[in-house]
Amino acid sequence: MALPFSGRKDGLSLSEALPDRSLFVLVAMMSFLAALTLTGATGARTLSTRWAGGAAQLLTIQVSEPDQPLIASGKTGKTTTQQTRADTVLADLATLPSGTQVHRLTQEELARLLTPWLGEAGKTALPLPAVIEVRLAEGQEAPADLEQTLSTHVPGTVVEHNAEWSTRLRALAESLLACAALALATVGGIATLITALSTRAGLSTRRDIIEILHGLGATDSYIAGRFAWRTGGLAFGGGLLGTVLAMAPLLLLFRMAAPFAASTLQASSTAMPDWRTLPDLLPGDMLAGLAALPFVAAFIGWATTQFMVRVWLRRMP
Amino acid sequence: MIRLKAVSWRRERREGAPVLSNLSFDVPQGGFRWLLGPSGAGKTSLLSLLHLENLPTDGTLCLLDKDVTAQTPRAVLVRLRQRIGMVHQDFRLMPDLSVADNVALPLRLQHRPEDEITDEVHAILKWVGLGECIGVRASRLSGGEQQRTAIARAIVHRPGLILADEPTNALEEPQAHKLLDLFGELSSMGTTVIVATHNEALVRRLPRPALVLERGRLVQDGA
Repeated sequence: MALPFSGRKDGLSLSEALPDRSLFVLVAMMSFLAALTLTGATGARTLSTRWAGGAAQLLTIQVSEPDQPLIASGKTGKTTTQQTRADTVLADLATLPSGTQVHRLTQEELARLLTPWLGEAGKTALPLPAVIEVRLAEGQEAPADLEQTLSTHVPGTVVEHNAEWSTRLRALAESLLACAALALATVGGIATLITALSTRAGLSTRRDIIEILHGLGATDSYIAGRFAWRTGGLAFGGGLLGTVLAMAPLLLLFRMAAPFAASTLQASSTAMPDWRTLPDLLPGDMLAGLAALPFVAAFIGWATTQFMVRVWLRRMP
Repeated sequence: MIRLKAVSWRRERREGAPVLSNLSFDVPQGGFRWLLGPSGAGKTSLLSLLHLENLPTDGTLCLLDKDVTAQTPRAVLVRLRQRIGMVHQDFRLMPDLSVADNVALPLRLQHRPEDEITDEVHAILKWVGLGECIGVRASRLSGGEQQRTAIARAIVHRPGLILADEPTNALEEPQAHKLLDLFGELSSMGTTVIVATHNEALVRRLPRPALVLERGRLVQDGA
C-alpha cells in the first residue's frame, strides 16, 4: 500500500533555505560580465596572435611608376630594359625563401583601400604606385639587405616593415589579455563569495533541521550534496541566462569589429558582415568559452557549497 | 554493548565542574536500564553522550563494540549513529514533513528501497496508533501524537541501541504501558535499551536495573 508521503525528501526545504531569486539573479549578472570579458579576452588574444604571427611576417612594398620600363645603370651608361619596374621587383622577390606569398594588389583592391581617403576619384585621377604584399612563411624573416637590394635594382622602391609596430601592438594586446584574465578571476571570485554567503545564510536558517538529520545518521556527503546540487542548479540557470543575455551586445560588437579582423590587405573591407553570416564568423574558441560559462558557474556554485557545508558540519561531532 | 570507563564530559569553553564526572558502567547487548535521577542530574547529557552528539572529554567509551574517542573518524561516528534510535524529550520532528516522511527518514538516510520503506513505515505507524494521521504534517499533531511519531522514527530501522529521554511524558497511561512492553520486547530480542524517566510508576511496572545519577555522578548501578 502506498503511503501519503509529502514528496519532500528530508525536511531541508532548500527551495526556502536557498531562494531562487537572489543567487540566480546574481549569478546571471556575474555570467553576463564574464561573457563580455571572455569575448574581450578572446578578441585581444586573436589580435595578439595575428599581430605576432601575421604583421611581423608582413612586408608592404611600394613601387612608384610601376609600369614604366626599368632604366638600368651600367658602365656604358643608362640603358632601358624591356622589364617594367614592378616586374623587376616581383622577380627579385621571387628569390625569397619558399613558402613566401607575394601578391601585387590589383587596381580594384588599391581603389578599395583608397576610397575612404580619396573617394571615387582615387580610382582614376592619380598615378598610383604598385603595392606588393609579401607574407613570409611562419618563422621566416626578411633578408636584412632586401630593402637595399630592391632600391639598387629599382630606385624609389619603399619597403615598409611592420615588425616594430607589431611588437608594440602585441605588448598592448598582451596587457589587455592580462586585464581580461584578471577581470575573469575577479568575477569568479565574486561568484564564489556570493555562493558562500548564500550557503551560510541557508545553513543558518536550517540549523535545527540539519542537527536532526545529523542525529539520525545523515552523512556529511549527504547534507553537503543536497545543498551543493541546489546551488549548482541555480548557478547553472543563472549562468545560462547571463550568457544568453550577453549574446546580443556581443554579436553587435563583433559585427562592428569584423572589418578590423581581416587578415590581409586584399581581404579588408569597410563593409560590416551580414547578420545571417555572422555566426559563421564567430571564433570557435570564443563560442566554446561562452558555452562553458554555465557549467563553470555551476561548478563554482557546487564546489563552494560543498566546501562551506563540510566546514560548517565540522563543528558537529 | 555499552562500556564507560571513568568518562567525564565538560561543555566547551566552560569553567567549573564537568557536567558528567567519572562515570563507569557496563550494559550488555540486549540489556535494559532505567536512567534515574533528579532534574539537572545529567540524564539528558548522558543520553546525548551515548547518542554521540557529544564526545567524552575524559575516559573511554565503547559503544556497540566500537571504541569512541575525540579522534574517532566522523564516518565511523555516523555509521554508529545510524545504529542508534533516539527519542528526545522535545521530539525533534521535521515540522514540514508528514508523519510518514518523518518516520521514513532513518530508512531513507540508509538508502533502503522505497518498497521496503513503505512497508516498514506503514507497519510501525499502525502499531503506535497513528494509522489515521499518516499523511498529516508533524506540526499539526498533538503532543502525544508527536511523541508516538518520534518513538516510531526511533525504532523503525531496528537499531542496536535505543535511547529514550522521558518517552512517556506526553502519552496517556495505556499508550505508555504499550510502549514499555515494546521496549521490553525489543530488549529481549537483543536491542540494548536505556530509558530516562521521572515516572516511578513506570519503573515499578517494568522492574529492571537502574542507573541513578546525581550532580553528574553515578551513585547507583543496579546491574
